[in-house]
Amino acid sequence: MEAMAEHSQETRVTGESGADKIQERLQRRHQARAEDAERKKEAQASQSVAEEKSGYFLSTFNAERASIEDLLSSCSGADRAVVTQTLEEATVKTLQLQKFLNDSMLFLTQYELRRAQDALKKLLTSSADIREEALPKKKFAFRARSKATDKVSAPPVTDTPTVTDSTKVDVAPAESVQCCFSNMDNVCMIKTAEEINKQDVLLTHLTNCKVRLFGSPSTLHMTHIDNCEILCGPVSSSVFVDHCRNSTLAIPCQQLRTHNTTDTQVYLHVTSRAIVEDCRGVGFAPFTCSYPTLDEDFIVSGLDRHRNNWSQVDDFNWLAAGTPSPNWALIPEADRKTNWEL
Amino acid sequence: MGLLTILKKMKQKEREMRLLMLGLDNAGKTTILKKFNGEDVSTISPTLGFNIKTLEHKGFKLNIWDVGGQKSLRSYWRNYFESTDGLVWVVDSADRLRLEDCRKELSSLLLEERLAGATLLVFANKQDLPGALSKEAIQEALALDDIKSHHWCIIGCSAVTGKNLLAGVDWLLDDIAARIFTTD
Ligand SMILES: Nc1nc2c(ncn2[C@@H]2O[C@H](COP(=O)(O)OP(=O)(O)OP(=O)(O)O)[C@@H](O)[C@H]2O)c(=O)[nH]1
Ligand SMILES: [Mg+2]
Repeated sequence: MEAMAEHSQETRVTGESGADKIQERLQRRHQARAEDAERKKEAQASQSVAEEKSGYFLSTFNAERASIEDLLSSCSGADRAVVTQTLEEATVKTLQLQKFLNDSMLFLTQYELRRAQDALKKLLTSSADIREEALPKKKFAFRARSKATDKVSAPPVTDTPTVTDSTKVDVAPAESVQCCFSNMDNVCMIKTAEEINKQDVLLTHLTNCKVRLFGSPSTLHMTHIDNCEILCGPVSSSVFVDHCRNSTLAIPCQQLRTHNTTDTQVYLHVTSRAIVEDCRGVGFAPFTCSYPTLDEDFIVSGLDRHRNNWSQVDDFNWLAAGTPSPNWALIPEADRKTNWEL
Repeated sequence: MGLLTILKKMKQKEREMRLLMLGLDNAGKTTILKKFNGEDVSTISPTLGFNIKTLEHKGFKLNIWDVGGQKSLRSYWRNYFESTDGLVWVVDSADRLRLEDCRKELSSLLLEERLAGATLLVFANKQDLPGALSKEAIQEALALDDIKSHHWCIIGCSAVTGKNLLAGVDWLLDDIAARIFTTD
């Protein structure tokens, strides 16, 4: 809009003498240029502040981390009382470091953030190891809150597989076709490749349902899922889960994005990352199910079968991931579901 | 050297722009950025924090900031507003359930004083999905026609196939250039 204003002024001066015109024009150019330069300087300043901050962060973080490592290594050979005290000190320092990381998150790149998180994780693991070794008995175990599994194992399901037609969500203008299954209670539903391959599949408002999607959707979105068991073939891009509770999910995908979900078990194959946000009691285990066309579906999806980061979950409400988030856990092997028959 | 030549030289040096990519989580921002830059898009994780990419395109130096869109990160968006020349708003065209959220977030951004001078490009992404809404439907759902404060344009695209990414960025650069670099 500024440009437009300037332009119209310029047309107005065309009537004046040539020299004046050029003079004025140059002056205006010059002014615009000065403003631009100012603007650019500000931009560079803000970027260099970010760089400075991240430089400051890295040096402080690394110094602090080295001092904690020193503390930890001073434990070897020391007697019990000393170890207890040193570990205590190391723990306090690690927590402070975590807080520092949390506060710095804003101006760190994703790469720096992850590196720092990994370093914190390492510190915690080694202090746990030292504690275990020097001060046994005080066992610390992090268990999944996976009691809901029991409930799911005997759901009141109709024994005849019902095929429900795709229904449209009412918010959707009817011009494009989304593959949508919604508003079902107590239904057993099986879909195959013909219906879902390469589709964007939406599951909403399902209660007490058993769902099998044998095929490879492009993407899968599920919301308002209550007490369901959902097994889906490899999804080429992301799976978006919102408002899901007391359920069991089994899915291979590229990304898993879990929101507002409680007491749910996820059997996962994820080639990049899984995240949770506003979740409680979400358990994770590797995807081990099988069904006749799984191999083909993997090929259709393009997912790397040998790359599964199922256990690396980012909790967006728990960003300084030095300590495990209380909102999710790995499902202990003994508690994992192995039978996926309908 | 004449004055005009000097002016031209200065101009060349300063052909630098700052672009800010925002949108709900899962919209495809990072995928667009990497695809545009010719990188592998299969290993992209949901963004914790942000990514910056500096690249040359059409003789411009672009500083592109891609900030995570999760709910818990949105309150941090304002930390990236300063000196933004172009705002790229990315929409998952198949995510009908969150279109209203999407509209609200965009309209509150457009009230931001520090974004007042920025050109707005809306990418109606994921057009390769069979259930994707058309760019016209997105334009309506986001009430883009009500925007009087910014130059804007909506382009249907796919980060996976790469379709129309170039067209979108080219429009954005032309619009910004016309505004901030004086033309002869
Ligand atoms: N089919 C299809 N999938 C896409 C497209 N663009 C992105 N995706 C997928 O959508 C998912 C989310 O993409 P990201 O680039 O991580 O989304 P984002 O907007 O950066 O998300 P945040 O970082 O959480 O803000 C990924 O699984 C992508 O592969 C597209 O054009 N078509
Ligand atoms: Mg991202």
